[in-house]
Amino acid sequence: MSRRILVVDDSPSIRRMIALTLKGAGYEVVEAGDGQDALERVGTGSFDAILTDQNMPRMDGLTFIQEFRKRPDGQATPIVVLSTENEGGLKDSAKAAGATGWMTKPFDQAKLLSVMSRVVGA
Amino acid sequence: MTLSRATAPTGSGRLDVVTLRLGQDALAIRAEVLREVLEPVAVTRVPGASEFCAGLVNVRGTIVPLADLRVPLDMPREELGPDARILVLDLPLAGRPAVVGIVADAVHEVTRIEREALQDVPAVGTRWPPQFVEAVAELGGGIVMLPDLPAIFDVHLAGLAGSRHNASGPAPKAEPKPD
Amino acid sequence: MDEETLAIFQAEADSLVESLEAGLLALQDRPGDRALIDQVFRDLHTLKGTGGMFGFTELAGFVHGFESAFESLRSGASLATPSLVAVSLKAHDHIVALLAGEAPQGAETLLAELAAAVSGAVGPDAEPKQDLWEEDLPVLNAPSMAAPPVPPPTQPMPAAAEPVTPQAHPAAPSVQAAAVAAQPATPVARSEGVSAPAGGLIRIAASRLDEMMDRVGELVIAEARLAEIAAQSGLPALVSVTEDIQRLATGMRDAAMSIRMTPLSSITGRFRRLVHDLSAQLGKPIDLAIVGEETELDKTVVEQLAEPLMHLIRNAADHGFEDAETRVRLSKPATGRLTLTARHSGTEVLIELADDGKGLDAARIRAKAIERGLLAPNAEIAPADLLRLIFAPGFSTAEKLTEVSGRGVGMDVVRRTVTDLRGRIDLSSEPGQGTRVTLRLPLTLAIIDGLLVEVGGERFIIPLAAVEEIVELADRTAGSEGSSRLLNIRGRLVPYQALRDLLATPGDPGPFQKVVIVTAGESRMGLVVDRIIGSNQTVIKQLSPLHSGLKTFSGATILGDGSVALILEISGFSVPAKIAFPTESRRAEVPA
Repeated sequence: MSRRILVVDDSPSIRRMIALTLKGAGYEVVEAGDGQDALERVGTGSFDAILTDQNMPRMDGLTFIQEFRKRPDGQATPIVVLSTENEGGLKDSAKAAGATGWMTKPFDQAKLLSVMSRVVGA
Repeated sequence: MTLSRATAPTGSGRLDVVTLRLGQDALAIRAEVLREVLEPVAVTRVPGASEFCAGLVNVRGTIVPLADLRVPLDMPREELGPDARILVLDLPLAGRPAVVGIVADAVHEVTRIEREALQDVPAVGTRWPPQFVEAVAELGGGIVMLPDLPAIFDVHLAGLAGSRHNASGPAPKAEPKPD
Repeated sequence: MDEETLAIFQAEADSLVESLEAGLLALQDRPGDRALIDQVFRDLHTLKGTGGMFGFTELAGFVHGFESAFESLRSGASLATPSLVAVSLKAHDHIVALLAGEAPQGAETLLAELAAAVSGAVGPDAEPKQDLWEEDLPVLNAPSMAAPPVPPPTQPMPAAAEPVTPQAHPAAPSVQAAAVAAQPATPVARSEGVSAPAGGLIRIAASRLDEMMDRVGELVIAEARLAEIAAQSGLPALVSVTEDIQRLATGMRDAAMSIRMTPLSSITGRFRRLVHDLSAQLGKPIDLAIVGEETELDKTVVEQLAEPLMHLIRNAADHGFEDAETRVRLSKPATGRLTLTARHSGTEVLIELADDGKGLDAARIRAKAIERGLLAPNAEIAPADLLRLIFAPGFSTAEKLTEVSGRGVGMDVVRRTVTDLRGRIDLSSEPGQGTRVTLRLPLTLAIIDGLLVEVGGERFIIPLAAVEEIVELADRTAGSEGSSRLLNIRGRLVPYQALRDLLATPGDPGPFQKVVIVTAGESRMGLVVDRIIGSNQTVIKQLSPLHSGLKTFSGATILGDGSVALILEISGFSVPAKIAFPTESRRAEVPA
């Protein structure tokens, strides 16, 4: 059974790139355009990991993580925050909100896959 | 692409043409521009159009303007008889490919004319405006005339453009007082 | 990296850049607007992130610096001053150049200017990175993206690429416009478009769309023929199915049409930018107000209007507006006001550009026209016609060549562009008060709802969008005024003409003529016909060059019985000009 990953980013091209990479490696990918959208998606089933951007309209990454962690089934899923390096202080907030890890943009496909496999324990 | 107005095509070889009767005259048109020949169909009048091209016909879903060569060729225009046909031709208009129809009293056949047989139209003795005649030839015991179709249509379009230019822009509309 | 992904990035970047520019321009008017600042910041941030991911390293670096400058705006430490906006716009242009693959110079200078324009020191982000979990990576180039050490994700790609044309270059403007137009560049709309499920955007070659339109057109014609046969057959089942097909065909037609319609807002961004730049360049404060930019037109029409409208704006800025001092002296507001209005009217779109500048100098136009041989020295000419000479080729009223609008030779090109779109252009002016240029463009819909009428046994189509109502002729006449005959419609007077007169129809009319009341531009008039047959879907076929010059017809169509019918161009009928319209309320007492 393939692993299910939720990718949350408001940039369609970044979502696409991540989705292509992950699907090519056998993952199943669900996309969301912002935190709000992501919350709706998590209702559809469980995910093996969540990858989320921080800066998004409607609801940003950290808020989404906080809301997600409040859910009864929202404790176990590993969440990796994607962001550019200009947000040093954000990492503390991310940890406090419940993020499992942090990946700086830009990243290449190899790194993405390596991080993913560590996170889902493949 | 247009041959010079006053000179018949030169060179050897043959020209495939379709011959037709228009009024009292026998005309020939290059077979390569002929798309099809239709029996008379309903013609829609175009109000305000010139006499040369005053109608539109439906050819299998395409709206085709219908032209009467008797106008530029200065021929008397009598009612078309029972053998009348419409020839649908591929002709460029204003530099772009187009489809036009021309009326004929009868369509005879597709035949060949030797290029050497083509001659310039005589300077006197014929009523056709020479700038609209590509060539004449002897065929089957009579004279057949090849109209210079590009010239006829180009001149006509130029005339239309000229008259449009003279009209001084959109007619001023009276502005009604606001409601 | 596959082309499709790169193309998606390009479209996204274009949208971001457009939104950035709009945000910066708006910031000038509302420097304290937090939402705007956040939007600009977000656009910059996304540009940096995605740019970096797709190999635009220089871009990412530049935007990083840009972002830093705006950080102090976000924190409230500085305000957006006009000079900051000006430099920011230059930085925006630099970004556009980088995205286009050019190698523009001056990045350092721009960043320094940005930093200087922001009051208060902006220090570099000195926060130490505390990685929860280290993933610091060197910034990477595109090649490594394209050659991943993992199985290349080609599997899902071909399937997704199948239905759309893999337009090789994302640079094809018409295709990009289609993609970008689906996501209007306003901040709110962009976020809505973005949170749509992935795959909400499709790139289509414009030619495929045209092909589809042709198929839909043919479907409509065939359906009309079917309807006629069904009606003749009298078979209820057949008639019923035919009605269903008719409904479906209409639905398809509307869907196809709406794909091509684009709001004017897709080109107004550059107008705002132009006015901003011209204001600065000419030293004249000018305000551009746009009303009705959501008005939609066919996409090709919108694209072709951009240049002419830019030229008209340049003209107004350069030659129309007085400088601030002069304006104040004349008791006008120091800032010049330029208003662009767009709206639908019947079957036309009206676009107007009005300024409150000094107006056109009729005497100078006359002198120039005579000098150019366009007017005889002592010729009499109506004032409106004199102004129209501006559109004649070779005309120019500029005293000197200005860098901004050139010799004004563009006006004849402007007019030609408009007439090529089968539209009309006109202008009016009040000396000392301003000038107004009006463009009327037909909605070049390929399929419209048409009203089929009969005049003297011949049938014609009147576009239903232009029809207001239909009345009986007999009981409505109300005498005449000058050369125009008038109808009394519920107390209002409407001029009317008989179509058989306009069309030189032979024969006599029947006893029960009808009058079709239509809107033509801003006037209303009645057209008398013998019979109203009904309404139908009309596929407009263009007339050949042999007939396209006729102002009375906008095209032709094939009716259900296979015959050809001409489509009337309502704006081609002019109401006789010499009427002085009384105000309608004054004449209400005229007995019907």
